[in-house]
Amino acid sequence: MSIASKTPLTAGTTRLISLSNAMPWAFAALFLLCLPFVFQSSSALTIMNQMAITIVFALSYNMLLGQGGMLSFGHAVYMGLGGFFAMHVMNMVEDGLWLPLPFLPVVGGLFGLVFAFLIGSFSTRRAGTVFAMISLGVGELIAACSVIIVVFFGGEEGISGDRTMGPPVFGYEFLTQQEVYYLTVVWLLVAALLMYLFSRTPIGRIANAVRDNEERAEFVGYSQRNVRWISFCASGFFAGVAGSLFAINFEILTEENLNLATSGSILLVTFIGGAGFFVGPIIGAVVFTLLQTVLGLHTELWALYLGILFVACVMFFPSGFAGLIAMHRRPLALGNLKLLIKPYLKVAVPAITSVLSLAAILEILFHKRHGYGGGHEMHLYGIAFDSGAYQAVGLAGIIAAISLFLVSRVLPEIREAWDSANHAEDRV
Amino acid sequence: MSAPAIELKKLEKSFGLAKIIQGVDLQIAKGERHAVIGPNGAGKSTLFNLITGRFAPTSGGVFLHGEDVTGLKPFEINRRGLSRSFQITNIFPNMTVFENIRCGLLWTMGYRYSFWHMIGRQLDVTEKAEEILEQINLSNRRNELAGTLAYAEQRALEIGITIAGGADIILLDEPCAGMSHSETDLIVDLIRNVTEDKTLLIVEHDMGVIFDLADKISVLVYGEVIESDTPDVVRASAKVKEAYLGASLEEEAV
Repeated sequence: MSIASKTPLTAGTTRLISLSNAMPWAFAALFLLCLPFVFQSSSALTIMNQMAITIVFALSYNMLLGQGGMLSFGHAVYMGLGGFFAMHVMNMVEDGLWLPLPFLPVVGGLFGLVFAFLIGSFSTRRAGTVFAMISLGVGELIAACSVIIVVFFGGEEGISGDRTMGPPVFGYEFLTQQEVYYLTVVWLLVAALLMYLFSRTPIGRIANAVRDNEERAEFVGYSQRNVRWISFCASGFFAGVAGSLFAINFEILTEENLNLATSGSILLVTFIGGAGFFVGPIIGAVVFTLLQTVLGLHTELWALYLGILFVACVMFFPSGFAGLIAMHRRPLALGNLKLLIKPYLKVAVPAITSVLSLAAILEILFHKRHGYGGGHEMHLYGIAFDSGAYQAVGLAGIIAAISLFLVSRVLPEIREAWDSANHAEDRV
Repeated sequence: MSAPAIELKKLEKSFGLAKIIQGVDLQIAKGERHAVIGPNGAGKSTLFNLITGRFAPTSGGVFLHGEDVTGLKPFEINRRGLSRSFQITNIFPNMTVFENIRCGLLWTMGYRYSFWHMIGRQLDVTEKAEEILEQINLSNRRNELAGTLAYAEQRALEIGITIAGGADIILLDEPCAGMSHSETDLIVDLIRNVTEDKTLLIVEHDMGVIFDLADKISVLVYGEVIESDTPDVVRASAKVKEAYLGASLEEEAV
């Protein structure tokens, strides 16, 4: 009983992060540290770097969408501007300015913050449609500027630099992909941790309150505008950090980095991952980057699949992948997760088959329309065939129909298993 | 004599051509429990919204402890020690009950817009929030999302958020609306407890509650205060009987 008396209800809150909270971070750090030993190729490192940058960007976006209730259509502005400034500073380093490369993201972040401060001064007065429209307008404005102000944005070619010209840090000059990977990953961890801690501060909690009910927040003493503005500045800072990491990795920035398409895709990434959860944007960024790079290697239709995934997400699981995972917390707590394994396995085969066969139909039709030089000979899933023949589409169609039918047969079973897995009584 | 806690001077509010509040003069002394009654559409909620800064008055002034707060924003008025609840439950539905209360505490406990404090480490806030949860009898609901609470519990939470910041002027807009008799009794006891030594302004339709709680009653009819006195005087007033009871009889006839 002496243990109980030593642990009041607030025990474990005296450290900055309690041990149980620190574990996932330590695990993530270790995981990221070991990753390059598994995936050694240069392209794999590039993909991982890109993933890390997207994660930072998506987390910063979620400070607005998930935590502050601000739907922005122009968040790429802050990443892009942060990146462009970082690139200019990188070029100044080449001309003799003393700044070790690992600190460059601070510079980019500060520029992101300055622009978020300026633009936020008028865009955060109201949330909802007004905020969304202003973000869209500003996004369009800056994207247009990037073509007009060639001196700064470099016109259509953009601007480029050389990251290796700075003073070496402990002998590292960031010539290799691996060195850049570790720089990026350290920044990923630092930025993610800071953003996580931000959500645990008074302003972070009040940002949630303003998201939930801005009027009530005013009646407990908070200016909704100031709360949004501060979140917006913090978000701009981390977007700028992401932009700097992009500058370091790719050594080039173009109009593409701050246009509306990029703003749109980060919204998509965050939503697919789950805006309501801190890990949501991380999952979204991983899925998105894999689709873009790995799937993008195999098919030109990757963006279409991403779009379909997004629509499916909005319609069927609006809380994103993180929400899907979180749904299983209750069955897990009740010890009922095993009830779900069998039906899940049962649906997996027909579900995967139907997805693959539906994709096959799209691929075959696409191949037929755009027949590349070599006519209609096509390779899909390791099979070579003539995309012009009806048999291929027909067969894919039949497989799709059968597997979809099988999925529909298993669905009631899943629903039943789900219900019983969520009820404590059934087990007791 | 110190300045009244709330003073309204020739307060008027129009929405377009409709004059909702037509020159209200009212003084509420410090520590007084003051009720506003009146038929539906008399302007009671509008009066609340004018005092708390939700609407700006068309003309006239609002003074708290002698300080002019006319036209200030809700958060500025709140920071001057006035807190209110709402007729339609107004809480943070996607946050836990505990967090709802904590949100009500942060500003007055000095945390403001801080991003350098870890909220979990601020024992003073946690303890105070637990204390208030105890007071409004929601400790056992601590970790549930506020939006999932039963109606009566949400009403109690609403009052909890309102009193959390320790404001010395409390405005409650129909705290007992839509509650059963037993729930009403609980809420009235709660209100009496939490407004000890504070100035209370309350709008309520339940006459039992009003005559039970109030030191003074103001009767608002068509945007004018026709009587403002002790419950006994108001009960006996011919003017009130004519205007208010007449109206409420009409209401019942409908």
